[in-house]
Amino acid sequence: MKDLFTEIWESVRRNKLRTCLTGFAVSWGIFMLIVLLGAGNGLMNSFMQGRGSFATNSVSVGGGWTSKPYDGLKAGRRIRLDDTDVALTGSDTFADHVDKVSATVGTNATVSYGRKYFSGYIDGQYPAAQEMSKIEMRYGRFLNDKDIRDSRKVVVMPESTAERLLDNGQGAESLLGKYVKVGSLAFRVVGISKSDRMRNDNNLYAPFTTVKTVYGKGQEVGSISFTTKGLDTEAANDAFEKQYKAAINLHHRAAPDDERAVWVWNRAHQNVQMNQGRKILSTALWIIGLFTLLGGIVGVSNIMLITVKERTHEFGIRKAIGASPWDITKLIISESISITAFFGYIGMFLGMLTCMLLDKTLGQSTMSVMDEQIAMLVNPGVGLDVAIEATLVLIIAGTLAGFFPARKAASVRPIEALRAE
Amino acid sequence: MLIELKDVNKTYNNGQPLHVLKGINLGIDSGEFVSIMGASGSGKSTLLNIIGILDNYDTGEYYIDGRLIKNLTEKQAADYRNRMIGFIFQSFNLISFKTAVENVELPLFYQGVSRHKRHEMAMQFLDRLGLADWAGHYPNEMSGGQKQRVAIARALITQPKIILADEPTGALDSKTSEEVMQLLGQLNKEDGVTIIVVTHESGVANCTDKIVHIKDGIIGNIEDNREHRASVFGTSTIMK
Repeated sequence: MKDLFTEIWESVRRNKLRTCLTGFAVSWGIFMLIVLLGAGNGLMNSFMQGRGSFATNSVSVGGGWTSKPYDGLKAGRRIRLDDTDVALTGSDTFADHVDKVSATVGTNATVSYGRKYFSGYIDGQYPAAQEMSKIEMRYGRFLNDKDIRDSRKVVVMPESTAERLLDNGQGAESLLGKYVKVGSLAFRVVGISKSDRMRNDNNLYAPFTTVKTVYGKGQEVGSISFTTKGLDTEAANDAFEKQYKAAINLHHRAAPDDERAVWVWNRAHQNVQMNQGRKILSTALWIIGLFTLLGGIVGVSNIMLITVKERTHEFGIRKAIGASPWDITKLIISESISITAFFGYIGMFLGMLTCMLLDKTLGQSTMSVMDEQIAMLVNPGVGLDVAIEATLVLIIAGTLAGFFPARKAASVRPIEALRAE
Repeated sequence: MLIELKDVNKTYNNGQPLHVLKGINLGIDSGEFVSIMGASGSGKSTLLNIIGILDNYDTGEYYIDGRLIKNLTEKQAADYRNRMIGFIFQSFNLISFKTAVENVELPLFYQGVSRHKRHEMAMQFLDRLGLADWAGHYPNEMSGGQKQRVAIARALITQPKIILADEPTGALDSKTSEEVMQLLGQLNKEDGVTIIVVTHESGVANCTDKIVHIKDGIIGNIEDNREHRASVFGTSTIMK
């Protein structure tokens, strides 16, 4: 091995400038590949962060109108979800795919604090809603199991909503522990959540049981949410939805295949599309990067051809004293791989450095979208997987670049090679 | 017989076919010191290339040590050249970017001998040829005679049965030529190496024990020259 590297070094040393110029093209190719993929990742991360308001495996269910006559009932009937649907969702029938179940029930009410008031919506929720809807807490806590069990009159509101109840300049946290009036009843504020422009900020969260008893909703449920598990493919998601809808429909005496009796919003579909988009983007960037690299590879191949031409006589000598064709091939291909890998790694290193620089500059700057600050790039850069893939690409590229020149060198008959000058 | 050629024919097909060797029959015993003499274009170099497995032949048979050398793969040919034959060329054919000792080591490298062992052996052979002090020098720092001695060391290092020398004195002055021929004679006598020299100089041929005359691709007379009286210019000198 050491002998091989000595030989390569001897050859490269004689043509420093030529090797460096060729190597630059390879460095450039890998540099572009890394920067493109890094920036692409940053863009996707930023996009994901922007839309990340819901857990990707969450499903929401709501009542709709029947579209088919069934069981003696005509179409166009309103379906309202009720407690039985919640129990059915959490039952053993769907235990394989349903993880946490949460239901909401809500009502409009005027919310007031001192002189200030607004018309809001009281959203009766379960503690599980925090994870499903990715509600981030600013101050205090979210609803807990004790709130549900005791039907406590507590409320959690977004920061921006809290500010509407306060005088200018007062921090939202000052509302924590205070009582606000919801309709005619006083609710204690136990938590302030982070505002999210993707959601209606007139919403206040209160325990499901409280809203249900206080506002006399009886068996009725506004919507059901649950998280899924073990649904990895789109087909699995589709099959599950069909089965789930049929069960809920039957309970309401609607046709099992009625698509509109209940609406099901499965975020897994969005997620699948998102992943597909991500894949397409990264494939496109790989292709652009590889084509840039191709220029470098052709350069290396070209230089190796010239090297082979220049060294024909030397290879003749080597063959005369006992070098087999494979010995010669090995020499050329390993020289080609060494050049490609060496300059490739320089490019990779510079590319990663540039990604870090992007993170420090563009990564810190934000743009305002719908009142929300969104970073243009979030964590641009590539992972170890890309570094390994790029290494493989370099080795394959180096082999390809050296292959044809090497075959040419190995195929020259020793007697002809010795005659060459 | 170490080397045996039976009715070997060789035609070059570059445009007009050129029948270079027209049925060569030649036998050389182990330990002989032979020269092949002929004018340029007589086919002597082609014959040497065939003997050295650098070139192939069209028809006939060629045996080394009873082994038929025909239709070999490049790999086999390389292996035979490496283990059985040592080459000495007119233009030395040393690798310019390797030092003397690295050049001498090279055949052992292709045999897979370890770095340390082959360096040691190369130094031994250089020492024997009086070049130990020049081991670290590059070919362009040496005189023609020194370069040829490095080439001889390289040919000897695998301890081959046959040494093939193609105009070994062609690029040397008369004094150095004489030294090189004496060296070859000494190697033949002391080590019993079979040496075949191709030359067009009668003085060089006169240093060998047997002279094979080749003309127009046919072997003419084979002269017994153990008395070394063949040179028209006298017995003790190589005239240039």
